[in-house]
Amino acid sequence: MPRPSAGRVHRARRLVGLALVLLVPLTSACQPTAEPSAAPERLSRSDARATLASHSVPTKVGIHRVHGRLPVARRKAVRKDVGRVVDRWWEAAYLGGTYPRSSFPAAFPGFTAAAEQRARADKALLTNQTAGPRIDSVTPRKRSVTLDVLASGRQARAVTAQFVLRFDTSGPRTGTTTVRGRLFLTRPRGAWRVFGYDVAKGAR
Amino acid sequence: MGRTMKLVRTIALLAVLTVTAFVVPTSAVQPTDVSLVKIRHADGVAVGGQDVIWILAVGSDARPGQVMTRSRGDALQLVGINTRTGSATAIGVPRDSWVAIPGHGREKINSALYFAGPRGMAGAMRNLVGIEPDYVLVTRFPFFEDMVDDIGGITVANPRPFQDPYLKKEGFKKGRIHLDGYNAMAFSRIRKGLAGGDFDRSANQQRTLRGIHARIRSQADRPGFIERGVMTVMAHTDTNASPGELFEIAQAVAQVDPRRITTCVVRGRVGFVGLASVVFPDVAQARRLGREARPDAALRGC
Repeated sequence: MPRPSAGRVHRARRLVGLALVLLVPLTSACQPTAEPSAAPERLSRSDARATLASHSVPTKVGIHRVHGRLPVARRKAVRKDVGRVVDRWWEAAYLGGTYPRSSFPAAFPGFTAAAEQRARADKALLTNQTAGPRIDSVTPRKRSVTLDVLASGRQARAVTAQFVLRFDTSGPRTGTTTVRGRLFLTRPRGAWRVFGYDVAKGAR
Repeated sequence: MGRTMKLVRTIALLAVLTVTAFVVPTSAVQPTDVSLVKIRHADGVAVGGQDVIWILAVGSDARPGQVMTRSRGDALQLVGINTRTGSATAIGVPRDSWVAIPGHGREKINSALYFAGPRGMAGAMRNLVGIEPDYVLVTRFPFFEDMVDDIGGITVANPRPFQDPYLKKEGFKKGRIHLDGYNAMAFSRIRKGLAGGDFDRSANQQRTLRGIHARIRSQADRPGFIERGVMTVMAHTDTNASPGELFEIAQAVAQVDPRRITTCVVRGRVGFVGLASVVFPDVAQARRLGREARPDAALRGC
């Protein structure tokens, strides 16, 4: 049986060594850390900066499609107005205010009265209520809204707003929360109102 | 060569173990960052501030050139949707039911549309079942075909094979069958091949409604699907619902739980008024169905 040449063994060792060198930084990057570099600075419980931090990432609002005819100026108005409604909900339910807190008494601005009543029963998902007492601060990472607009008579009549909100939390409940789903809006008296929702929330 | 391979394998194994040691943290050190992502979900729709909305769906037999809201209403389904519980119900009425039409005496219910339009049809339905619909949605059969095609067809559970020499020579098989627009129309219209005649046809219309609901529900989260659906309904129906209200209704339909759908066809006795063959509906049963379904859009029995 021929012996392997020293060169071949050396080359094999070098390859494995190279693989290890490449793998270690990768695994280090994947390794969970108690204080990830992207995590927000941990704030004291009385620190009011949590409110300010929520404004650091702007909300991107885009239109997926307009079903029916709608002049460009009105498309822009829909983007702006619906984006504002979604933003107000996010601020009231997740991003704004001072933490820690367990009370979210006015979390649904822009919802119809009936939808607000429904949403109150789903506060665990539609607000930060369950984790709120263990959060010191909230830092938004992604705020994205995409609209499908139903138009008739050159007026926007209804909108489905697909959204993704991602934010980091610090404090005893450190992690990243993603809220995504759809809001359904109509404009009963000239103002866009949320009459329904389909929302999923996950955290890690 | 063998020794080399063994060496490589040993080193590779060591590498895997090393990597594993890095990747899998001890549970005591990293309590939060390795938790699984737990996703929870909630949905809800509130339409017009009331829990239950009632829609009278009418299939008009208008021929080309005729006004569909002033023709006979051949398919009649009173549909209730409970936006709070996700339940829904359909009460079917045979088209030949002999009923009181507001301002027009007693006639077959299908003529209520001809004599008194959608409002008159809603009144006739209220007289029989005791529920005044919030909306009346009238379509004609070719439009109905287009709408079913626009949502990509439907699947229905057909309890028996049947056929019709004019509408469907080859017939419909028993079991779960996929229907395009034309076949959904034929499935909902055929009466002669059914042992129960008008009553079985009305039950088939309810199977069609279940198929439409299932299709809407399965596609509702596709961006633009509901908007396109509302556009096609606006193009193919006559209704007192505004575009915004249609959108709200469509979203409410999408959130109905298929396990909470109950249906029933009003019973009756076939007889004659003069030379005309009519159905004398079981008014007591119709009223009972109305009483049961009115508060929560759920039937306890049929």
